[in-house]
Amino acid sequence: MAENQSSENWEPRIVAIVCNWCTYAGADLAGISRIQYPPNVRIIRVPCSGRINPFYVVKALQEGADGILVSGCHPGECHYLTGNLSARRKFAALKSFLNYIGMEGDRTIFTWVSASEGDRFAQVIKGVTEAVRALGPAKKLVKHL
Amino acid sequence: MENVQKKLREEAKNLLEEGKVDVIVGYEQGTLPLTATPCFISDPLEAEKLVWNAFCVQNLAKYVHDVIFLHRESQKRVKPEDRKKKVVGVVARGCTTRSLLIHLQERQYDRSEVFVIGVPCTGYVDKKKQSALLEGEEVLEGVLANSELQVKTASGDRKVALAEVLADNCLTCRFNNPLISDLMIGEAAPPMDADREFEAVDAFEKLPIEERWAYFTKEMAKCIRCYACRNACPSCYCKICFVEQTQPRWVGIGEDETDTQVFQLMRLYHMVGRCVDCGSCIAVCPMGVDLRKFLKKLDKDDLEMFDHRAGTSLDSPAPLSTYRENDREDFIFNP
Repeated sequence: MAENQSSENWEPRIVAIVCNWCTYAGADLAGISRIQYPPNVRIIRVPCSGRINPFYVVKALQEGADGILVSGCHPGECHYLTGNLSARRKFAALKSFLNYIGMEGDRTIFTWVSASEGDRFAQVIKGVTEAVRALGPAKKLVKHL
Repeated sequence: MENVQKKLREEAKNLLEEGKVDVIVGYEQGTLPLTATPCFISDPLEAEKLVWNAFCVQNLAKYVHDVIFLHRESQKRVKPEDRKKKVVGVVARGCTTRSLLIHLQERQYDRSEVFVIGVPCTGYVDKKKQSALLEGEEVLEGVLANSELQVKTASGDRKVALAEVLADNCLTCRFNNPLISDLMIGEAAPPMDADREFEAVDAFEKLPIEERWAYFTKEMAKCIRCYACRNACPSCYCKICFVEQTQPRWVGIGEDETDTQVFQLMRLYHMVGRCVDCGSCIAVCPMGVDLRKFLKKLDKDDLEMFDHRAGTSLDSPAPLSTYRENDREDFIFNP
């Protein structure tokens, strides 16, 4: 991922880890509805936001992602009932800790998008891309081979 | 202190003779002056070896876990009807009992498998502080008397006040008396200065982001990844730690600085709601990495976000294993 770090026409690379039941379906809906959103995002589908090991986020940052988006079902709408509620705690602690050690807060973004919110999904991706673009290429914690 | 130690030896001897415990995990005199080291005692006659003083540093809950799991492993090849139960006695101060509570909460072993010999604690000596005050000189002989370390070094006799060498985590300790015990020895210790426990964290939080990052990278650059912190930590008991896992390989094994940062970051993050601030990791760190600055933040978040303190009650589950409907959501991104 590190190859476009220094080039002038740098584009943010964002890893989106999304849950199968809500956000992925939301992304699907955005696609079906032909809603335009920035192409900077690479989507990884997981069964539930509760399944996302916080290590995925840190690992993606280390491998050179400029931003990470984690998204699941809205609280109370989890397919597995409480997966996103556990995830909320995990990521609240992770985000606070990353911020504490001096990582930029806007690189790790957490949100909820439901299956019917194709429009919100596009808005989220736009928002995240803009936030990460404003920060510039990731430098902290990035492994250079 | 002296009385506690005397009583501790008597009680330990009785417990072993009566067969109430099979082994006692405690501290014995270290091989160097002004040190104590963990020991395992199963013979009543050896109970005389036990000590309790300001040099007992390591959190013994780690060894309790190890002993119980080694015993379980050894019982695997024994016929079920011949299997023996083993009770491990442990000399436990406040932080040790908190670690035991975490183990019990995480269903590592049953309460009947441990016998907690509670001892009051007034803090232990931080070897790094002591060595800094003595300008790195080797201690040839030393005694602790009247809250003062009387030390003999190559360049002469020195005196150091105990308060100056107490570990940071002890100075602001909130739980210096055992939270659970089957047998309490001695009077409860006076409280420490617990109101200042988050002072360093609060100050660090106010620094600009680049300074915080610079401090983190500076501290982590010291780390040689000996994993002593993990080995000493009672909350780090996984059979296969993520640093040694190869499928997937979470952390690279080279000397890349980001690998070290990621290792430390993730080990620290595993301590959310599980760090009892016993200072074992800091005491064993050969490079003097300031881990407490980061661990204490997790402690603070644990309290502020989840209204939880690690290992203080059997009824409150680990914060990341549970949830509340109204958990904070201010970090959620809304476009």
